[in-house]
Amino acid sequence: MLQLTGVEAGYDLLQVLWGVDLHVEEGEFVALLGPNGAGKTTTLRTIAGFVPPLKGSITFRGQPVNGVQPHKVSTLGIGYVSENLNLFPAMSIYENLLVGAYTIRDKARIKATIDLVFELFPRLLERRDQLAGTLSGGERKMLAIGRGLMPSPSLLLVDEPSLGLAPMATLTAFEALKALNKRGVTILLVEQNVNTTLHLVDRAYVLEQGKIVLEGTGAELLGNTHVQEAYLGI
Amino acid sequence: MTTATNLQKVPFAKRYLTFTGFVLFALVLVLALSAVMRPSILVDTLVTGGMWALMAGGLALVFGVMNVPNFAHGEFFMIGSLVAFTVFSPIQDTVLSDPANTGVLKMFGPFPGMILAALVGFVCGVLLEVVLFRPLRKRSRDQWVMNTFLLTAGVSVVLVNGDRLVFGNDYRGISRYWDVHPIVILGQPVSVDRAMVFVIAMAVIAVFALFLQKTRIGRAMRAVSQDETGAQMAGIALNRIFVLTMGLSCGLAALAGGALLFMYPNFPDVGVQPLYLAWYVVILAGLGNVQGAIIGAFIVALLQTLAVTFVGLGWVDVLPTAFIIVILLFKPSGLFGSEVKGVWEQ
Repeated sequence: MLQLTGVEAGYDLLQVLWGVDLHVEEGEFVALLGPNGAGKTTTLRTIAGFVPPLKGSITFRGQPVNGVQPHKVSTLGIGYVSENLNLFPAMSIYENLLVGAYTIRDKARIKATIDLVFELFPRLLERRDQLAGTLSGGERKMLAIGRGLMPSPSLLLVDEPSLGLAPMATLTAFEALKALNKRGVTILLVEQNVNTTLHLVDRAYVLEQGKIVLEGTGAELLGNTHVQEAYLGI
Repeated sequence: MTTATNLQKVPFAKRYLTFTGFVLFALVLVLALSAVMRPSILVDTLVTGGMWALMAGGLALVFGVMNVPNFAHGEFFMIGSLVAFTVFSPIQDTVLSDPANTGVLKMFGPFPGMILAALVGFVCGVLLEVVLFRPLRKRSRDQWVMNTFLLTAGVSVVLVNGDRLVFGNDYRGISRYWDVHPIVILGQPVSVDRAMVFVIAMAVIAVFALFLQKTRIGRAMRAVSQDETGAQMAGIALNRIFVLTMGLSCGLAALAGGALLFMYPNFPDVGVQPLYLAWYVVILAGLGNVQGAIIGAFIVALLQTLAVTFVGLGWVDVLPTAFIIVILLFKPSGLFGSEVKGVWEQ
């Protein structure tokens, strides 16, 4: 479904990705793991169109996505939940979701998706009219994921949902992602929380210094000595 | 559920006994007192306030959405009054040459000029975005606010002197739009022109506010002003929103210029005073806050009217500026804070 081949990207004089190859198949739940500064966020930003790739190709369902503008990537069916969430702080939860559905013209469909988001995160329904800027960290994550779901993307890119969250809230976020995946949404997740993530996902990649160094199913990687030493502290 | 509802219930005292609440209460009190003493103060405040709201609302919108401090905003006022004058003069001549048979033209004659002024303003705003801001945005967004400030200041100079070059350094004005007897409001004769200006301003502001709050595109504009990246993630094409924002803002300024032609005859520098007034309002209300700017416009109008009525015409700018200085001393972010934070503050 999503295929990255030899992708190199970076910012001005600093190249971050040095040939990333990865693929995500329809319905899969894939994680991208790695230490700080490895280029995980840059990989997602490159797919989402915010960082133009220097080399390599990105295709989504056979269509090239290289250098496509961010707002067009979202209309292709790729949703992106960024690390700092990029919510609209002076808008209510409900309005944030409505903006998320900007590309959808069918009112009935918008309503149905909002109901789905509220079903997934009942907490958001309780605070429907509260401004996004006044929400707690966990609620903000829920809202960001909910907003990402509004155009009914077939692939959702999620950047570190556990960042800055209490363990309980992290669990809620992960459970929601798993539930979404069961509903048929393909997910590419970036995480630092290696242990929990590997138990959750179908397959994972390990990214180090801008290159994919390991690939395997969750169980395979949990048994890998490099992963155990570098990330699990065993 | 209980925690959620409790959190939303801010105590009355906390919500209204703020600095802003106090200032607004004091201003309403002043307005009420002076209105009892001299009803003309109320009428003047509402009429001029409505027009400053058109100017300042657009200025605040452009600053909020695009982070452009538009110092050429007054020139769109000038363009509006020029268009309105050009369209209205022949209509007025027709009416004057044959007053008996042109009843309809007498009643509706002023509107084509105003509408065309708004349209031309819209087109000029779109051009400004496409020809100047878009290439700059592509090249670099470093120092964006400073660069666009210089750019718009330059555009202002070019437009003022372009107008002087092409149309000459003359006053092109009309004595009145509607040649009928004044109507009486609160025992005060008010010219139909001024009453109509108020009605037009209120109607346009109401439509503008509804557009921003309730429509898909208006919501997208507010989204862009709050988080550009988030807006792009939601599939909003920034360029389209920027074009529309600039067009709307300049269209509103041109409409103000067209509607106020009877008070501000067109000449090259006519936009300077409205520009500074709009900036007073925007600074007073908090940069980029459109709703705040609309209320702020009436505050500035009230202070101007008070200055003219009780002190003298020379003090018309002194009272609002002094008031703004005092407000900023206590609340540096402006009277209505900055509910909407632009990229420049983040």
